[in-house]
Amino acid sequence: MMSMTGWNIRIWFVPFATFLSLLVLATGVGSSWISPSRVITALAGYGSDTDMLIVWTLRLPRVMLAALGGACLATAGFLLQRALRNPLASPSILGIVDGAGVGVLVFLWLLSDTANTLTVSILYQPIAASLGAVLTALLVAFFAWRDFGQPIRLILYGIAVAAIAKSIVTAFVLLAPVFSASKALIWLAGSVHAAKWSDAMIVGTLFFALWPIAMLMSRQLDQSVLDDETAVGTGLSVLALRGCMIALTVALTATAVSFIGAVGFVGLVAPHAAQALVGLRSKWVLIVTPLLGASMVLAADIIARTAASPLELPTGSITALVGAPYFIYLLIRQARHDQ
Amino acid sequence: MIRLLLSSPVLIVFIAILAVLSLHLGYRPYATSTVIAALFHPNGSADSIIIASLRLPRTITAISVGAALAVSGLLMQGVLRNQLAEPGLLGVNAGAAFAVVLGLGVFGITSFLSLTLLSILGALATMGLVFGVASAAGKNLSPISLMLAGVTIAALAASMTQIIIILDEATMQALLFWLAGGYADRNVGLLGVLAPILWLMTMCSYLTANLLDAMNTDRDTAHGLGVDVPLMQFALLTFASVLAALCVALAGPVAFIGLIAPHIARLSGRIAHRVLIPRVALIGAALSLIADIVARFVVAPQEMPVGAVLALMGAPIFLMLLRRNRVRLA
Repeated sequence: MMSMTGWNIRIWFVPFATFLSLLVLATGVGSSWISPSRVITALAGYGSDTDMLIVWTLRLPRVMLAALGGACLATAGFLLQRALRNPLASPSILGIVDGAGVGVLVFLWLLSDTANTLTVSILYQPIAASLGAVLTALLVAFFAWRDFGQPIRLILYGIAVAAIAKSIVTAFVLLAPVFSASKALIWLAGSVHAAKWSDAMIVGTLFFALWPIAMLMSRQLDQSVLDDETAVGTGLSVLALRGCMIALTVALTATAVSFIGAVGFVGLVAPHAAQALVGLRSKWVLIVTPLLGASMVLAADIIARTAASPLELPTGSITALVGAPYFIYLLIRQARHDQ
Repeated sequence: MIRLLLSSPVLIVFIAILAVLSLHLGYRPYATSTVIAALFHPNGSADSIIIASLRLPRTITAISVGAALAVSGLLMQGVLRNQLAEPGLLGVNAGAAFAVVLGLGVFGITSFLSLTLLSILGALATMGLVFGVASAAGKNLSPISLMLAGVTIAALAASMTQIIIILDEATMQALLFWLAGGYADRNVGLLGVLAPILWLMTMCSYLTANLLDAMNTDRDTAHGLGVDVPLMQFALLTFASVLAALCVALAGPVAFIGLIAPHIARLSGRIAHRVLIPRVALIGAALSLIADIVARFVVAPQEMPVGAVLALMGAPIFLMLLRRNRVRLA
């Protein structure tokens, strides 16, 4: 199963086909259903005026945002799993996701006037989320400083810091009068509701700026799978690489979370699925992982919009319903493997 | 010094002081004479009613829930031989909370007794799931993996809870406060039923001291000492889960007491469970009272949910213990 072969057309077909069909399907699903053939016609620029309007102005920004956010989270998850050499790590476990949540809530709280409207542009929200994520990551790094060589401890520090962030979020949701609690809750659970092209452009720019860096490091990433001493023997600065990858993880996670909310488990499931498909070579995994992450968020978004329509479920809850059992399965498999 | 601080008489005095403080302090602070008058010669005045029917139940809830959760955590740690086990981190609290929200939001159950039973069912099901994962993974499952399983199951329960809340906005606001965990404005009738049960169960846990000591040796030794290990594991985990579930029914999911109290109790070195159990219960009650008092002041005049205060207090303590290698990971 874990073949090291890169180009096998049948294997590569799966993620690309899944991604593209979900993209079309997600664009079609909504208050008015547009059939895939009409979506494709509209995407090609030949649809009816109504279809063109719905597809290009209403649906596509949201779909692109979901896809790009998923790609960011999935890539972040893969880098973190390699960095910590723990296949069970994911950005949410390090507390980064909750930290970004605190950033956004503080932003909404401090910069809203008495009428609950923001006094600055909403465009600053991602900056607040990134600040929250970075500060949380720094906090974890501060505690874990001496234990940087022990990834397991890093995870424990992350869980504790995440708990702090979570309780701050809870307190905010309950106490801050500016929030209608349900709005805040939906953001926290993850949602790509009401997306604009500008949002998708920002996430897209950041993703395509950060992802090539990961690609450039793919050879070092492969070496880092070895144990510390062997990796050092191949001329690798393990700690520097680990720091660099964690920095990338934080940046990617912050980008995604600030726009699509706290969607969990994508960073955990997508890299595993990708490695099951194309093997362990980072170069290939890094191409497939974002595709699968995007597919996962798109699928979750479709379910979230249709399952309880007209009500909209949080995307993050759907990914958790799928991701959590899969995680448990991985955990059991890994423990059995270790014996 | 630390041994003296952690001795039972000192802790009991400390709890008594905190309990008295928690009757005095709050949005409206009271003079000692008013408090005494309200407790012993209730005269129907507003002050008297506030103290006797709001402050006192709250103090009792804090003590009962704190002690019970701490003991529940200790039992889980002892049985699973895992110093990270705790009803909150293992997902038991979240499972119990999910069952309650399910009953309330989907099936429209409003009787407190039925909801308490649901909470117990939810906690037991979650514990079963966590334990099932642990058994399926085999005996080499590391403490960290068990904890990851717990955190994941908690996330699963939380997201299902979230879906129900979003589908049923009517009950949402009330549920949100309960879900954050807190001791204020709890149902006094329910407290009257659950508090005695919690106290009784907390005291009964003392009977398991020798058993826990035996189980803390390796499996073969425990077996040699005449302990039916799987059966006892099952019995003790059930006991600990029910304890946690009752706390959830009463005060909502309150995390970290079960984790922190045993670690603080162990600061004086390794000790037998005979000493450890009462000490942990007392430390849990004290932590819970402190958190409840702090909750009244951090964002005054509003109240912070105690669950949030405990996480804010407990997580840094946990971080400190981790850094000082006070938490055994293997």
